Amino acid sequence: MIEREARFEFQNFFIRYGTIFALFLITVFFSLTAKGFVEIANILNILRQISLLTIISEGFTMCLLIGEIDLSFAQIASLASVISADLMLKGWNPLISVLLSLSVGPLIGLGNGVLVTKVGIPALITTLSTGMITGGTVYMYTKGISLYGNMPISFLNIGRGNIGPLPILVLIMLLFVSLFQIVVNKTKFGKYMRATGENPTAAWLAGINIESYKRLGFILSGLGAAITGVLLTARLGAASPEGASGFLMDGFATALLGQTVFGIGKPTPFGTFIGALIVGTLNNGMTLLGAPYYIQDITKGIIIILSVSATSLQKKKIERR
Amino acid sequence: MIILKTENLSKEFPGVLALDNVNFDLEEGEIHGIVGENGAGKSTLVKILAGVFPPTRGKIYLYGKELHSHSPRELINIIGFVDQERELIPSFTVIENLFLGNEIVQGGFLKNRELQEKAKTFLKNYNVNLDLLALTRNLSPGQQQMLTIMKVLFRKPKIIIFDEPTASLSVKEIEIFNRLIEELRASKVSIIYISHRLSEVLSFANRITVLRNGKKVVTVRANEVSEKDLIRYMIAKDMHEQYPKIKKEIGDRIFEVKNYTNKKYGFNNINFYIKSGEIVGFAGLVGSGRTELAKLIFTGDRNSVGEIIFLSKEFIPKGPKDSINKGIVMIPEKRREEGIILGMSVKDNLALPNLDILSIGGFLKEQAINKHSLFLINSFNIKLASPLQLVYTLSGGNQQKVSVAKWLGERKINLWIFDEPTQGIDVETKTEIYLFMENLAKNGAGVWFISSDLNELLAISDRIYVMNKHKIVGEFSPPYNREMILSKMLGG
Repeated sequence: MIEREARFEFQNFFIRYGTIFALFLITVFFSLTAKGFVEIANILNILRQISLLTIISEGFTMCLLIGEIDLSFAQIASLASVISADLMLKGWNPLISVLLSLSVGPLIGLGNGVLVTKVGIPALITTLSTGMITGGTVYMYTKGISLYGNMPISFLNIGRGNIGPLPILVLIMLLFVSLFQIVVNKTKFGKYMRATGENPTAAWLAGINIESYKRLGFILSGLGAAITGVLLTARLGAASPEGASGFLMDGFATALLGQTVFGIGKPTPFGTFIGALIVGTLNNGMTLLGAPYYIQDITKGIIIILSVSATSLQKKKIERR
Repeated sequence: MIILKTENLSKEFPGVLALDNVNFDLEEGEIHGIVGENGAGKSTLVKILAGVFPPTRGKIYLYGKELHSHSPRELINIIGFVDQERELIPSFTVIENLFLGNEIVQGGFLKNRELQEKAKTFLKNYNVNLDLLALTRNLSPGQQQMLTIMKVLFRKPKIIIFDEPTASLSVKEIEIFNRLIEELRASKVSIIYISHRLSEVLSFANRITVLRNGKKVVTVRANEVSEKDLIRYMIAKDMHEQYPKIKKEIGDRIFEVKNYTNKKYGFNNINFYIKSGEIVGFAGLVGSGRTELAKLIFTGDRNSVGEIIFLSKEFIPKGPKDSINKGIVMIPEKRREEGIILGMSVKDNLALPNLDILSIGGFLKEQAINKHSLFLINSFNIKLASPLQLVYTLSGGNQQKVSVAKWLGERKINLWIFDEPTQGIDVETKTEIYLFMENLAKNGAGVWFISSDLNELLAISDRIYVMNKHKIVGEFSPPYNREMILSKMLGG
């Protein structure tokens, strides 16, 4: 009996802290094997590297929160990135350029939401298609070429500057994580979104307008993507039509991993941040070790399967009770 | 010769003993009827026999050999099961469904001509007329039922279990079905036959087993009993179970439905009312339309016609949110799927419908929420370790308490719809829920009480409507005539 309880405790511990423990193990592993991994400069570098990934994944986390999926966010980021670059290269006011390019995210997100809730197309198909349309639009808009040239320093500073020792991008990321964490845990909207994702029928019968909260999830996913796109332009000082496409795989790995952080199967903004730390540390460490890029892809694929397995097994357990 | 036998068979679902030490046997070539009220354990028994789920305790012997945790697949050619829920694939043709899992193939390819020939002769044998190439979804419910039966017969099982086979059949189909049963009897197939239609069971069966509350009451020879005897066996005699009753004043009509019609869901001219302070019971069999009617009125449906008066004003249902804001709430039958959110904490579940009041400018008032949930947990005596516990870890009874308690807040609620509120929960919690309903009525609300447990319905309701086949077929006031209500429920 005691033995069984001990096992149960161990399982509980693993469910609660397994992911954070994994982050710890990965960190220890690279500290021992990869030269230069533990240096302050490299750690700041990791944080800077994951800042965009975190922001785009936070948006996607909102989509997971309402129980849906979004395959269009990487292309939304690309679109926002090229629009912001193009407008600024044409000499537009930076603020207006940024606001205009940010607006495409929530707009496409709203479109996704309407197609899913009003028309009833499954989110997978909806966002696959709108993602393709967005991606195509990016190529039409840029004619397939990268945009670079002289952009306003004030804008580029966002992507490259520091405040004290910390890169501005990292500060924006931390702000974003905290903001989303507050929305999810401390506001009515967050609770309603979670209820909608966990059990739409029960939420609906409890008087929650589940359709509008589903749309809100898609809108936030689009917003996170557009912000990421604009920041990407600011960081690179240029925009390419394929610039943000890598965020799809990494964003999935990050957010799905994030679901496993606090009790398996719960999308949380802070969990997603931990997820981004794991993905970022793996990317960084493996690059330092000189691992070929395909090993990184294989690793991320395995991460997605492991974290989704953990989530699915937990869901099964809940339903069986 | 006895070919199938159970020994002390029991089945527990979380919080409820669905089957309690049942000893049952089936002789070769006999038709064995099983009767009992809703929830008596009939379907549970046959589902265990068919291998849908394993028993919690007890043994099953097939041809004298003990069966260990069998799955339906292993026994599919020995025990055929015509389930209440038809297991057909709507987008498949009749012939595809008929042969599903039993296809004739050569090198991986279907031998279509042979399949068709075989199907034709087979259906003709039993006088069943179905268009082999028709899509299953285009068949009438009766035709689908016949197809389900044919699909099971096709495997030539030695034992066939029928669970309410005639519920959806037309008069003509029933004739065909009766002939089919006689043919099966002649070819020495053993049959277990569940039906609410007692006359049907009496005419077919050699022996009849009566179940009540998961226990076997008696097994009798069909030619030695009458319909009245069966009803007497089915009804529990221990009526002095604890049903609390509070004195309350019944006021004016608070809620009235006039000529409610919804063609899509098969409702035609439904009329009823609920007075303030009154608990109005809705009796009927599963599928009689009680849940659907309540759900349609609570959630709204654009195909609805008719007039609903609530608090002396016309009420046009627009959706749960609107109904709740106007003062109507519903505690749904499927509590795990619809009543609570399993993966959220007790605290969050209790706060969810009240967040408009428990937040300022969108931000949650944590203290108020804690106070609110503690109050509800205490006043409902919800047993838990912490309000932060996830709801799925609670017992069925405590889950149900959460599903009910969450509606208590600042909001004034004048009509409470309880759909099977005590299903699958322990006796103690049942009593607490009855008391809660009584108190709601005492404070002037109307209570719309749907239950398949006739004992509680008779004990708690101030008035009872009986529904049968989507119609209100009777209205009763105390003292209730139990036999009359039951016969209205089963009638037709």
